[in-house]
Amino acid sequence: MQLSPGSWSILTLAVLSSILLLLSPVLHTTGETFWIFSLDHDLMYEPVVTEWNQSHPDPQDHVRTYVIGVAPLTRRLQSGFLSGTPVPDLTEVESSMAGNFFSGPLDAVGFTDLTDLIHKEGLDTKINPASFGPWTNRGHIFGLPHDVHPVLLAYRADIVEAAGIDVSKIETWDDFIRVMSPLMKGDQGQRYLMNVWETNPQALEILLLQAGGGFFDQDLKPIVNSDTNAKVISTIVSWIAGPNRVCVNAPDFDAEGNYLFLHGDVLCSLMPDWLAGVWMKDLPGLGGKMKLMPLPAWEKGGLRTSVFGGTMLGIPKRAPDFQRSWEFAKHLYLSRELAEHLYRAVGIITPVREFWDDPVYDQPNPYFSGQPSGRLYVQMAPQVPLRTSSPYKPQALVAINDALIRLKQYAVRESKFDAPSLMAQAHVELGVAQAEIERKMAANAFLQNP
Amino acid sequence: MGWTPFVFLSPFLLTFCVFLAYPLYDSAILAFSQTYGPSHSVWVGFANFKNMFQDPDFWTALKNTSLYTLASVTIQLPLALLLALILNQPGLKGRTLFRLIFFLPSLVGLVFVAMMFSLMLGDRDGLVNVFLRSVIPGFPGEFPWLQNYVMASLILASLWMYVGFNMVYFLAALQSVSQDALDAAAIDGANAIQRFWYVILPEIRPVFGFVVLLSLIGSLQLFELPYVLLNGAGPERRGLTLVMYLYQNGFDRNDLGFASAIGWTLAILLMGLALVQRRLSRNE
Repeated sequence: MQLSPGSWSILTLAVLSSILLLLSPVLHTTGETFWIFSLDHDLMYEPVVTEWNQSHPDPQDHVRTYVIGVAPLTRRLQSGFLSGTPVPDLTEVESSMAGNFFSGPLDAVGFTDLTDLIHKEGLDTKINPASFGPWTNRGHIFGLPHDVHPVLLAYRADIVEAAGIDVSKIETWDDFIRVMSPLMKGDQGQRYLMNVWETNPQALEILLLQAGGGFFDQDLKPIVNSDTNAKVISTIVSWIAGPNRVCVNAPDFDAEGNYLFLHGDVLCSLMPDWLAGVWMKDLPGLGGKMKLMPLPAWEKGGLRTSVFGGTMLGIPKRAPDFQRSWEFAKHLYLSRELAEHLYRAVGIITPVREFWDDPVYDQPNPYFSGQPSGRLYVQMAPQVPLRTSSPYKPQALVAINDALIRLKQYAVRESKFDAPSLMAQAHVELGVAQAEIERKMAANAFLQNP
Repeated sequence: MGWTPFVFLSPFLLTFCVFLAYPLYDSAILAFSQTYGPSHSVWVGFANFKNMFQDPDFWTALKNTSLYTLASVTIQLPLALLLALILNQPGLKGRTLFRLIFFLPSLVGLVFVAMMFSLMLGDRDGLVNVFLRSVIPGFPGEFPWLQNYVMASLILASLWMYVGFNMVYFLAALQSVSQDALDAAAIDGANAIQRFWYVILPEIRPVFGFVVLLSLIGSLQLFELPYVLLNGAGPERRGLTLVMYLYQNGFDRNDLGFASAIGWTLAILLMGLALVQRRLSRNE
C-alpha cells in the first residue's frame, strides 16, 4: 500500500501526539482541594491557607485552592454529585446557585449534612442565624455561611446635601419619593432617584424581602401571590411607569448604568455590602461623593434593611476525610483575621457575631464621605430578613418579575400609575405566577415524595 | 469471507453504536423518566410530554423560535440572494473585496456578536440609538431595544452575521448558471426579472433548497445569541428559544428526563420540516 506524503504526515502526527499524551504526567494532588468561585475570595484566603499549610507538616493536610467561575463550578460540582466524577474536599457555593443542589431527594444532596455539628458546636448562635437560610433545606443545614450581606441605600451626598436635604428625616419609601423628587430636575437635565427597573430582578428581590414578602414560606410552599408582594410590585410600577416616574434602568456591572451614576443622572442605589466593595473598585470617580443610609421602610417602624447575595462553604459527602475538611472550614470562616481582611478587601462583613465589635468596622471610609460604612452595615446585620432555599426560587423570582412587567404594561395601557389602583391587577398577575410555580413544583416527583 | 468485512466495518459500527445509537435509545427512555442523577430515576410515562405541552414556557419558546425561523428564511435568504446577484456582476469594481466584507461577520463567534450587539443596542447610549437620534429628530432619548424589541434585535444580529455566509452558497450556485441560457433569454427579449425567475432560479433551486434546510435547522437550534445578548431568556421570556428551554430544564434544573422530552419534540419537529421541505422541492 502506497501512502502519500500528506497521509504520512497525518499518521506521524497521530503517533507522536499519542506518545506525548501517554508520556505526559498525570496530575496527582495531595491534600485537600478547595474550589472557590471568586478570585477576590482566593486572594483573601491566601494568607490563611498558607499559614494552615505551614502549621500542618503532613502534605495530606495541605489545602490547595482552585478558582472556577460560578456557573462552571456549580455544573462541575452537580455533575460530580450526580455521576460520581471527582469533587473537591471543600467548596464555596453562591446563593443564587444553591437551589440547584436541593432539587432531588434529600439523601441525594451531595453535601454533608452539618446540622447536628453546627448545633453541637454552638455555631448556630455564634453565627448570625439568618445567614444559614440559603443553605438550609427541608430543615437540614448544608453549609457554613460566609457573610450576611445587609442592604443599605447609597446616595449621591454631594447632590443631595447641596440641595439642603436631610436624609435622616426620611423614614419610609413615601418620604423618600416626596423629599427627593425636587432633585429630579437637575442643571444637567432629567435626573432619576434610583436604579430600579422591571429588568432588574435583584432590586425586586431586595424590596420584596425588605417588605416581608418573598417567594416561599419556611415549609417551602410558594407565597408568591401575597398582599405584601402585590403592594411591592404595585409600588415599583408607580416608580417606573407614567409621566412622573422616578426610577431608571441603570444596571450594575454595565457601562451605561455606571455612566448614569458617574454623571449624577441617578442619585441612589440599593447597596448590599459586597456591592459597596465592587463600587469602590469599579467606580472610583464616585469616591467622596457617596453616603449610605438605612433603606426607607415600607411603613413607619418597618424594616430598614434587606439582604442580597451570599456564599457558603460546603463539604461534599464524598470528601475522604470529613474531619480534616471541617477543621479547615472552621479555621477559615471563623477566623478573626479573615473577618477583618474580608471587610478591608471587599467591604463584606462577617456573619460571626462576636467579631462585630472589631474596630475595623468603625474606621471612616473615604469613599462614603468618611462614614464608618462597616459599622452601618453591622448595625443592620441582626435584622436582615430570613431567606429560604427552594430550588424553585430562581423560577419564582422570574415569575414575579414577569408579573411586574405585565403590571407595568397594564398600568401604561390603563393610564393608572398610583400603587393602590394597581393592587387588584397585581394580585391577578401574581396569581398567574403562583399557579406557574405550583404547577412546576407539583411535577417534581422527588420533592413530592422526599 | 468470514469475519473480514465485519472487522473493516467495526470502527464505524462501534463508533455509531457507542456515540449515536445507544445515546439515542437512552435519551428516548430518559424522556419517559424523571431523574436526579443516574441513581435516582422514576418512570413517569408520558408525564414529561404532558407537562411540557401544559407549560406556557414551551409555547413561548416555540412561538419565538418559529418567528425567528420564519424571519431567517423570508428575510435573510432573499437578502443573501440579492447580495449574491449584485456581487456576481462581472463589471462590478472591487467585488472580491465586497464579498470578503459581507462574509467576514460569519467568521466571528456568536458569543462575540451577542456581546457586541448588547453594547450597540443599549437603552440610552447604544450606538444604534445614538445614530437614530442623530438622523431622526425627536427620536426618544431612551429606546429599550432589548426589552421591547427582543425579536427584532435578534433578527438584526443574525442578519448581520449570516447574510454573507448564505451569500457564499448562492454565489457558488450562480457560477453554475449557464451563460448561454441567459444570453438566449436576453435575445428572446426577457428582462432582468424574467431572466432571474425563469433561468437563474430554476438552475440554483437545488442549492436554494439546501440553504433553506440549513437555515431551518440552524434557526430551530438558536441558543447562544439570545442567551448572551439577553443574559438568559430576557424580559417575559421574549428571547426564550426551544434549545434554551431544553438547556434551562436539563442543566439549570437538573431534569434531564424533561429535557430529553423537549429534545425529542424538537427532533421530530426538525424531521417533519425537513420532510415537508424535501416534498416541496420534489414537487417543484
